[in-house]
Amino acid sequence: MKDMMKTSTAGARTRRDVSGDPLGPNSEIGRKLKQYYDELVSDDVPDRFAQLLVQLEQAEPARKKD
Amino acid sequence: MAVSQAFKTDLLGSIPSLRAFAVSLTQNADKADDLVQETLVKAWDKHASFQPGTNLKAWLFTILRNEFYSQMRKRGREVQDSDGIMTAKLAVHPAQHGQLDLKDFRGALEQLPEDQREAIILIGASGFSYEEAAEICGCAVGTIKSRVSRARAKLQEILQITGEDEYGPDAISTQVMGKPAA
Repeated sequence: MKDMMKTSTAGARTRRDVSGDPLGPNSEIGRKLKQYYDELVSDDVPDRFAQLLVQLEQAEPARKKD
Repeated sequence: MAVSQAFKTDLLGSIPSLRAFAVSLTQNADKADDLVQETLVKAWDKHASFQPGTNLKAWLFTILRNEFYSQMRKRGREVQDSDGIMTAKLAVHPAQHGQLDLKDFRGALEQLPEDQREAIILIGASGFSYEEAAEICGCAVGTIKSRVSRARAKLQEILQITGEDEYGPDAISTQVMGKPAA
């Protein structure tokens, strides 16, 4: 185990932007942004998109003509 | 050249991200899905111009973004207010216990100009670097940086987040006193 004292002192010194990233986990805006976006990303994908890719694939040989 | 199976699989895999970005841009679920559909069709047509090994997600986001702005130009910018309805009227309540309501956050995000909203989403949520975001948006890295910083300042203003830069009692007193008089 390493001695963590140095780290905790540094942490106490600047509590904001420890990572130097204004949208990082220490920022309320940063956290909300990710929460907002993750919710969107985890939304169920409608079938229409898989169907669309199948259609595109099927249409492909026919399009070779141009 | 036929579209490879790998490309198709990657395309499928990127749909959740594309939808999230599309909703962020359009602020409307139906328009977002139409936009994703257009993006997939365009990506399929242009697949030969994608260089395997480069960032497919960035490539797709670029297509989606271009499509969004070209639609917006055609429609004379009516995209923005879509079904924004209530958000402008809703007063944002100061965060309680330092916790922001996600609904309030959404409302605030919606009030940002598109260029700032997309910048802060690309950097703060989609996981792109400033360089990648600049490429996606076709602008300089410095432009992205300034948009992100303006977006962040604006969100803090709308949401009355003042505690982030000044720790301590200030944050609390602002929550109590900071509400503008009607």
